[in-house]
Amino acid sequence: MRLLRSIAAPVTGVVLLLLVWEMVVRVFDVRRFVLLAPSKIVAELARDPGSYWSNTLVTARHMLIALTIALAVALVVGSLMAASRFVEEAIQPIFVVILVTPWVAYTTSIVIWLGFGARPIIFLAAFVTFPILTFGVVAGMRGADPAARELLASVDASKWEVLWHLRLPSALPVIFTTLRITVAIALGATYFAEGSTGGTTGLGAVGRRVALDQTIGAEVLWTSTICSSLLGITALVVLSIAERTLLGWHVSQRA
Amino acid sequence: MKSDLHRACATIDGDPTTSPNGRDDDIGAATTTRPACATETAMATIPTVSASVELVNVSKTFGSVDALAPTDLTIDAGEILTLLGPSGCGKTTLLRLIAGLVSASTGRITVDGVSPAQARAEKRIGFIPQAPALLPWRSVRANASLLLEINAAHSPPRPNVSVDELLDEVGLSEFADARPHELSGGMQQRVGLVRAFALDAPLLLMDEPFAALDEITRTEMRHLLTRLRAHHGATVVFVTHSISEAAFLSDRVAVLSSRPGRVTSLEAIDLERPRRPEVEDSEPFFEITTRLRHALGGFV
Repeated sequence: MRLLRSIAAPVTGVVLLLLVWEMVVRVFDVRRFVLLAPSKIVAELARDPGSYWSNTLVTARHMLIALTIALAVALVVGSLMAASRFVEEAIQPIFVVILVTPWVAYTTSIVIWLGFGARPIIFLAAFVTFPILTFGVVAGMRGADPAARELLASVDASKWEVLWHLRLPSALPVIFTTLRITVAIALGATYFAEGSTGGTTGLGAVGRRVALDQTIGAEVLWTSTICSSLLGITALVVLSIAERTLLGWHVSQRA
Repeated sequence: MKSDLHRACATIDGDPTTSPNGRDDDIGAATTTRPACATETAMATIPTVSASVELVNVSKTFGSVDALAPTDLTIDAGEILTLLGPSGCGKTTLLRLIAGLVSASTGRITVDGVSPAQARAEKRIGFIPQAPALLPWRSVRANASLLLEINAAHSPPRPNVSVDELLDEVGLSEFADARPHELSGGMQQRVGLVRAFALDAPLLLMDEPFAALDEITRTEMRHLLTRLRAHHGATVVFVTHSISEAAFLSDRVAVLSSRPGRVTSLEAIDLERPRRPEVEDSEPFFEITTRLRHALGGFV
């Protein structure tokens, strides 16, 4: 019964959204570039599925590499920050600057610095997400059970042992929550950077081409937008599966 | 090291020819109270070497708060000493000082002649915290083995008793692959006991391990602890605010008062061993608990 509901409820929601969307566009005769009817998007997708698929894969690869790098850096920096209040307080203001500065503003500088191609795209997406992930790592590691910390201290555990056996597993639930937030940010940054680096592949590059030359058509713009959404949803589903697999022990994953 | 144990037995019993199990040989009791799944031959009967502890003029202040007034205390090898007192009397501080988890403001502590820090580094201390502190992502067996994996260079090369045997002894062999959240509070704390006993440490430090349990489970746990300890022979320092627990478990009880924490009296518990659960219904036990209650003075 629960399984049925967990499938039926979201499907109902999505179908309702698509119906209302389609109706609004038809009844109010909304301009195509403002909002395109779902039926037209599906038709466009069916017209040239290979192209949308390959561009989605390019964006997915950029995002995946960026998030992997961001997570790796966050684990290293976060471990150092969790181990030392001094390091944490020294790094925190730098992160705040990174987080509050609109990345759209300095994307051009990154392109000039790293040149065209995948590098500036991956750099930007990793750069804007790693501080958030680091905060997640620090909060998770700090939340490790004090009694367990004392227990490990009673047998003179090394910092590395405490990190591996206690702090890292304790941080996993928070890391997953933070990853969910950063997926959306990484996708946005990847999409924008793909359009800013003059490349020809990736959903962001497709979207940019339409923005510059509207004769290409609203169909292409909206279909690439929907492909981006589907990519984001896929990333979240993959994360949920990983979370269920890795965090079966955690209270959040228990019925 | 072995001679330490015999010396300890001689000191306490006045009889150096005590059985190899020391004076706590409770195997008789074990046959009547141990869980049905445990087998009589499951446990090795080679005692762990026990450690002596000496505190000379040890005090501890936290900022402007005197947690522990200057204290002298000697704990013999193989002895079970309980620190009994009301909340905030410094008994946990005293235990953590012996464990080397905090350092003393004044004085000197030695565990078998070395500093607590060194004893800790050499894994001579088995610590049982108040909360079971089980890692939720590890199975019961993996939790029980945790301390053997940490600082492994100092783990016993051939432990007297394996983790699986100990789990069997405490009636948890069926739950070895379960996760901690599937266990009751009492079962979780039994895993905590196994985790400490698996180390074969000569000194066991227990910080109110049964405080969060209901009275029935708590009583069962002290009987279980006595049985486990009988096979083991280690020195035990046990912190509690339960008079019955102190009376049943201890050779001596150090009664503490608060602000600042100080040892006000040392009470010898002259109940014979092995101590079976029925001893708690006896007249001598009642007399001891009354004596301890009076020693605690206005605190109870």
